[in-house]
Amino acid sequence: MTDQDRFAVVGILNEEPAPPPRRRPSRAPVLSALLLALIVLGCCFGGLMTAKDPAYMDLANTNLPPGGEFPFGTDTMGRDIFSMIWSGGRVSLFIGFASTLVSTLIAVAFGSLSGMAPGWLDALLMRLTEILLSVPNLLIVVFLQSLLGTPSPAGIALVIGVTSWTSMAKVIRTEVRQLRNSDYVVAARCMGGGFFHILRLHLAPNFVSSIMFMVVMNIRGAIVAESTLSFMGIGLPLDTISWGSMLSLSEKALMTQSWWVLLIPGLFLVATLLCMTNLGNALRKRVNQRHSNL
Amino acid sequence: MPDALVEFQHLSHAFRPGRHIVIKALRDVSFSIQKGEIFGLVGESGCGKSTLARCLMNIYQPSSGRILYKGVDLCDGKARRQHRRMLQRERQLIFQDSASSLNPRMRVERIVTEPLVIQRIAPPRGSLRAEAEHQLRSVGLDASCLNKTPVELSGSQRQRVSIARALILEPELIVADEPIASLDVSIQAQIVTLFKHLQLAHGFTFLFIAHDLSMVRYLCDRTGVMRGGRLVELAPTRELFSNPLHPYTQALLSAIPFPDPLRERARPAFSAPPPEPAREGALVEVTPDHFVLQSPSCT
Ligand SMILES: Nc1ncnc2c1ncn2[C@@H]1O[C@H](COP(=O)(O)OP(=O)(O)OP(=O)(O)O)[C@@H](O)[C@H]1O
Ligand SMILES: [Mg+2]
Repeated sequence: MTDQDRFAVVGILNEEPAPPPRRRPSRAPVLSALLLALIVLGCCFGGLMTAKDPAYMDLANTNLPPGGEFPFGTDTMGRDIFSMIWSGGRVSLFIGFASTLVSTLIAVAFGSLSGMAPGWLDALLMRLTEILLSVPNLLIVVFLQSLLGTPSPAGIALVIGVTSWTSMAKVIRTEVRQLRNSDYVVAARCMGGGFFHILRLHLAPNFVSSIMFMVVMNIRGAIVAESTLSFMGIGLPLDTISWGSMLSLSEKALMTQSWWVLLIPGLFLVATLLCMTNLGNALRKRVNQRHSNL
Repeated sequence: MPDALVEFQHLSHAFRPGRHIVIKALRDVSFSIQKGEIFGLVGESGCGKSTLARCLMNIYQPSSGRILYKGVDLCDGKARRQHRRMLQRERQLIFQDSASSLNPRMRVERIVTEPLVIQRIAPPRGSLRAEAEHQLRSVGLDASCLNKTPVELSGSQRQRVSIARALILEPELIVADEPIASLDVSIQAQIVTLFKHLQLAHGFTFLFIAHDLSMVRYLCDRTGVMRGGRLVELAPTRELFSNPLHPYTQALLSAIPFPDPLRERARPAFSAPPPEPAREGALVEVTPDHFVLQSPSCT
């Protein structure tokens, strides 16, 4: 007698095909997603749209208003703002994504380590993040900047990433603390599953939805931070074009009443940030909805 | 003791949920489980059965006492690390609550084969999927479950998935913490038959924790009765059921329902004897292999 005839298969209903459910009008932020995609694509392939070198200073054409040869005008040094927007956007977005990558990696490692650690180590790690959290961010940034020497986009991304992981780590740690007592994590540990196995299979899939919002907001925050730093003159140098360093020129530009030098990069920056906020909020709503469905 | 697979020696465990609170979940429990036997553990809710199982699986570190598995002291971190792989492969736990012992975000196929993946064992039947399908069949599920998540299964199907996961490494010791409490009667019988079959075919050893005395009577070779963190009686199952000596065991056995409403109605209500005095007692061998807890004053 084989196992099959000894144990009849019971308690399984056949699956029947069902008509697809009617789709509810989705509340996905289509407009924001489209606009953001357009800006990102423009930054990636902006070089193809214009033959002009964004760094070339055409001293014969300084401070030209938008129109004609220069769709967005030129700045006080005669650079073409249209091509600067795209190549500067590339730098700004790179900083946003790269620093978020850095901060998310640190947050996941730190948060899940602290969540899985025994009580005393967890307390120690959390006090550490609280200390980091209570030191003004700007101070750490300036300090790290001075260590790194001349600022470059990658350096700035690293500095911003290293200073913005704490709140995400706290959220992850709280989630992990809850998850680690669930029986399936205990079971995986009994079977000999290591830290990374448990993190990848059991922890990360369960906390990823709750940090999605923070990740999007982190990209946003990093872009803002870069602009702020550059605007204050402790970020990227003027000859590295980013939206932030373009804005830092605006002070000079306002004296010559060339509003476009301020307005156009500002518009792109604000549009990008708004789209990201929208997307982040939509993500958060979806997560909350799923939780209430359970 | 000829061939003990597991030996509990004066095992005690206390929880300290607060600064001034101590819950003594296990008090000085000593017994052994022979190789290849099905050992039943019964007792009222909260008497420490799950705690004992979790100490055996090294989920809790007992406050005192020793647990020997094949002579390896499980409470000694160094010895445990030395035999880590052996222990991870040979002991498997089936949890009491099947809903929380399966990751809701994983598909059944991956759940069942997780031990193989963790232990980096090549699936004997070619692919992980084939292996999962085989294990599911042996617990009475078919391949249509492979792609489902635990949420899409019924309670009994979930429990069978977690049994399949425990069986996939072909362990030596299976600790089953009320594996059938959430199943309907026909499935209970199937699972119990499955356990018996597995034990005959592979010589697995079971620690079978249960509420249902009739299942214990059918399945187990020896049975221990626990109360308030202590083992109060231990005997071969047949002997225990025919000749219970401890008052608590007698009360427990008298509470097994008869399948006859007239007899059932005429019966006095279940009343547990007063709890053991806090004094330490000792298991005394009354007849060969039949141990009863007796407090020193009674003897
Ligand atoms: N993590 C814990 N912290 C504090 N006390 C606990 C903990 N786990 C169990 N206890 C206590 O220990 C005692 C024994 O619990 P245990 O889970 O072993 O009971 P059980 O015999 O398995 O009961 P059941 O049959 O209901 O599963 C209970 O009184 C319980 O309140
Ligand atoms: Mg229990």
